[in-house]
Amino acid sequence: MVGLYVNAEEAELSSPKFPGFASARILRPSLLMLVFGVAILCSPIAFSQTTPAATAASSGAKPKTAKAHAASSSDPAVSAVPSKSFGNKTAPITMEVFSDYQCPSCRAFFEQTLRPLLGPDGYVAAGKVYLVHRDFPLPMHPYSYQAARWANAAAKIGRFQDVDAALFDNQNSWAADGDIEKFVAGAMSPADFKRVQRLMAGCEAPATAGVKPASARLNSGGQAGQGCALDAYISSDQELGKSVPVQATPTFVIFYKGQKYPASSGMVTYPILKQFFDSLLSQ
Amino acid sequence: MTSETRGSLGRTLLILGRLILAGIFLFAAYAKLKPQASMGWSGASIKTSLSMFAMQVDSYQLLPPQLVSPAAHFLPLFELFLGLWMLSGVLLRYSALTTTLLLGAFFAMMVRTYRMGLEINCGCFGPGERLGVGTLLRDGSSLAFAIAVTIGAFVLHRRARKDASVPVSGTTIPAAQHAE
Repeated sequence: MVGLYVNAEEAELSSPKFPGFASARILRPSLLMLVFGVAILCSPIAFSQTTPAATAASSGAKPKTAKAHAASSSDPAVSAVPSKSFGNKTAPITMEVFSDYQCPSCRAFFEQTLRPLLGPDGYVAAGKVYLVHRDFPLPMHPYSYQAARWANAAAKIGRFQDVDAALFDNQNSWAADGDIEKFVAGAMSPADFKRVQRLMAGCEAPATAGVKPASARLNSGGQAGQGCALDAYISSDQELGKSVPVQATPTFVIFYKGQKYPASSGMVTYPILKQFFDSLLSQ
Repeated sequence: MTSETRGSLGRTLLILGRLILAGIFLFAAYAKLKPQASMGWSGASIKTSLSMFAMQVDSYQLLPPQLVSPAAHFLPLFELFLGLWMLSGVLLRYSALTTTLLLGAFFAMMVRTYRMGLEINCGCFGPGERLGVGTLLRDGSSLAFAIAVTIGAFVLHRRARKDASVPVSGTTIPAAQHAE
């Protein structure tokens, strides 16, 4: 092996009478290493990250438990599966957001990023993005599971968007005392609220914040609240989240042309998200 | 252990250290630039990867939105340059110092984010890695390692200069006079 110096200067210093010779000795291994480095970087490695769970998620498939609950509904105006998505399903980009209604970062993400995305000038209205909300209530938040139940009940009568916004807009208020109901009521007509209340039958929240919520039992491997039909939808979202895997909220997964891109977590501003969408659409 | 053996060991360790640091930086650059999903290498795929990295930079909530994208486009290329510079061994003490400063900045940013309680992706080696105690320990160790390599590079450079000032006959010529 040719001499391998720590650096070029040292090589020059070690052979002061023959600087050219020393340069050749240091340049050869350095050039070899450079070529090796470039070769590694240019190797055409492609990773397909599409999983069966992700494909199911992008197609909006629901587990059998959720379908069974939906089929048992007696109100003809209530949809079989809660619609928690926005925009055209055939949009080139699908974005799934795993969110917790009581998480401050999720609220910031909704207010600063999803709201412009959903606005009249946003990419959802333009037919470029299909946005899907997924519930991922965390055990550390005592009221987030209950909030997700209200959102799912509203979604079953087609009022998800209003309740979703109301829950995030008033997060500080209901997170302090657990009184979610009044904000849900304020987001829709009294008639709609009555229908939502009927769907919430058997989904009573713990009386105080100190009581271990159903979400905590579910996340620790137990069963969600007995008798609440809406829990099946939340647990199916949680199962999808675990397959991503979701480790924090908000986490979002983006699909483009059937390909799943790696999940991102945390608050991302709308201009930066839009820039990513543009890079996908320009491919 | 003779001083010659010690010097030889020091040089070997420094070569090893610089190659490891070069590997870390080249892999970090590769992970950020590599095509996501099943795309092949192309200008468009690199643009998409950099846009994805911009989302990770943005989630640190440190830079104003107008600076996020330029930073996200500059960092992986700078990491690539640093990795190749370290690999070449040219002016090692300066490349090691630059590496240490960059790793120090990354580590400070990560500690700040962790203390703020933000649950985000690290973005250190591409997407999908959550910032946590594990990533902090890893980056902290890398920083300590880079500091050691930098100190080693400066010490060996000084020693090499000192040795060069000693002629074969054994008569020491002062360094200042030698430089003239």
